[in-house]
Amino acid sequence: MTRWNNGRDEVEPVSPDITEETNALPARYFTDPAVHEMEKETVFGRYWVYAGHANCIPDAGDYFTRNIGDREIIVVRTHDGDVEAFYNVCAHRGSAMVEETPMTDPGNAGRIKCPYHLWTYDLDGSLASTPKSFEDARLNPDLEDEDVSEPDAEENALMSVHTDRIGPFVFVNFDDDPMPLAEQAGSMKTELESLPLEEYHLARRIVSEVECNWKVFGGNYSECDHCQANHQDWVRDLELLESELEVNDYHWILHYQHKEDVDDEMRIHEEHEAKFYYFWPNFTVNMYGTADGYGTYIIDPIDEGRFQLVADYYFKDPDLSDEEAEFVRTSRQLQEEDFELVERQQRGLESGAIAQAQLGPNEHTVHKLHRLAQEAYEA
Amino acid sequence: MTASDSRQRQAPFAAACRECEVEQGVDSANELVAFYRRHSRQTDHDVVVTRTDFAFDLPTATDVETVVAELEAHYENGVPLGAVVAATSEQGVPVGETLEELHDVRLTGALYEPRDDHVAVV
Ligand code: FES
Ligand SMILES: [Fe+2]
Repeated sequence: MTRWNNGRDEVEPVSPDITEETNALPARYFTDPAVHEMEKETVFGRYWVYAGHANCIPDAGDYFTRNIGDREIIVVRTHDGDVEAFYNVCAHRGSAMVEETPMTDPGNAGRIKCPYHLWTYDLDGSLASTPKSFEDARLNPDLEDEDVSEPDAEENALMSVHTDRIGPFVFVNFDDDPMPLAEQAGSMKTELESLPLEEYHLARRIVSEVECNWKVFGGNYSECDHCQANHQDWVRDLELLESELEVNDYHWILHYQHKEDVDDEMRIHEEHEAKFYYFWPNFTVNMYGTADGYGTYIIDPIDEGRFQLVADYYFKDPDLSDEEAEFVRTSRQLQEEDFELVERQQRGLESGAIAQAQLGPNEHTVHKLHRLAQEAYEA
Repeated sequence: MTASDSRQRQAPFAAACRECEVEQGVDSANELVAFYRRHSRQTDHDVVVTRTDFAFDLPTATDVETVVAELEAHYENGVPLGAVVAATSEQGVPVGETLEELHDVRLTGALYEPRDDHVAVV
């Protein structure tokens, strides 16, 4: 039952059972700036969040930056060939060190140098050198040079962030003691790791700013009941009634069956279907039935009413063939169609009329999303 | 013209509604679009761009995909809508028509919006 807003804001928690009346996250969680602030900690500060693709930083010293909530990190390939992440914050007086550097256009640095007073860090985060002025006390009459001890390289290292991987996908976690990524990802990790994901390279990145809450888009991605009416070009080749929604602990998968068997050459995975993974909180992996490649979405909140969709497309060869370019364009068309829907939904939610919406019996993936959000808020 | 008028700085961009005979000077290309939105909401009139101040020549094409593609050379992270409407307006296409055209082309997947009121070619 929909709870219209009668001015009393009567809402209840998202019911565990989808058949109950109050099965959706109350509307204010999609519109309230305070919720956005809270999510920086309860959602993006606690779960494994996708940072980027290891193939984009192949050589030692390659790095890109990411903002997750208010946190700014550097994801870097070390001399050992590992991928590590650090806060982009200098151990001296806290300056941000490197400028924003997208994964598509990674920087390369032998070392990470803070531009403020030139403290310099190795790629493993340890302090490599400080200027002479930190080794003597020539300007301070109260101190003798001998009193100045050399800063300890490890104690003054950059603050590192937990990282782990699913194949080439690099994830970060800001919690002190996070649950293992393998636990959060469950079967998604084993499924994806059975595919040769690292043989594919980033070919296109399309970044769009969309005017809705990130969970509105997440919910839209998680169901296809809107597809018949809104993605007519796309559903033409699909057997929508054969589609299946699989729900796991922190991810769900939408399986779509193609009407005609797709050419075997045309895809990276084995099943004769397209598979779309949604990984809580804000990452998707898109396994297409009709392209030998895959895509990822990062659904990055900007504020309570806006998010950035970062759509990345991976193919064997980063120079796209005409068909692949056309494929990306079609995918882009789908996004654009969805943007219309989600922006309209956000408008409705923001109008204040509705206090708590309701989910249909086949919107169990959306229900999962709402449940996980609530679980995060309460934790 | 009075002395004080002549001292007044002329706004670098302007758009006008022929029906209402109003012209509005603005500081940036995207404010042309803002003016159009305001004006058409109130009056349902389309407007044309009457003055621009770009450091480069505007493309002469009228189809928006080509216009955006050509303008992209001058911008990072998307072409402001104001630059697109300025270019097409010079070719006789009013602002509202161009914005509608942009919306239609976005729906085909050929354009995207890297940030608010900026477009780029896919
Ligand atoms: S703040 Fe980084 S060197 Fe001083
Ligand atoms: Fe959709």
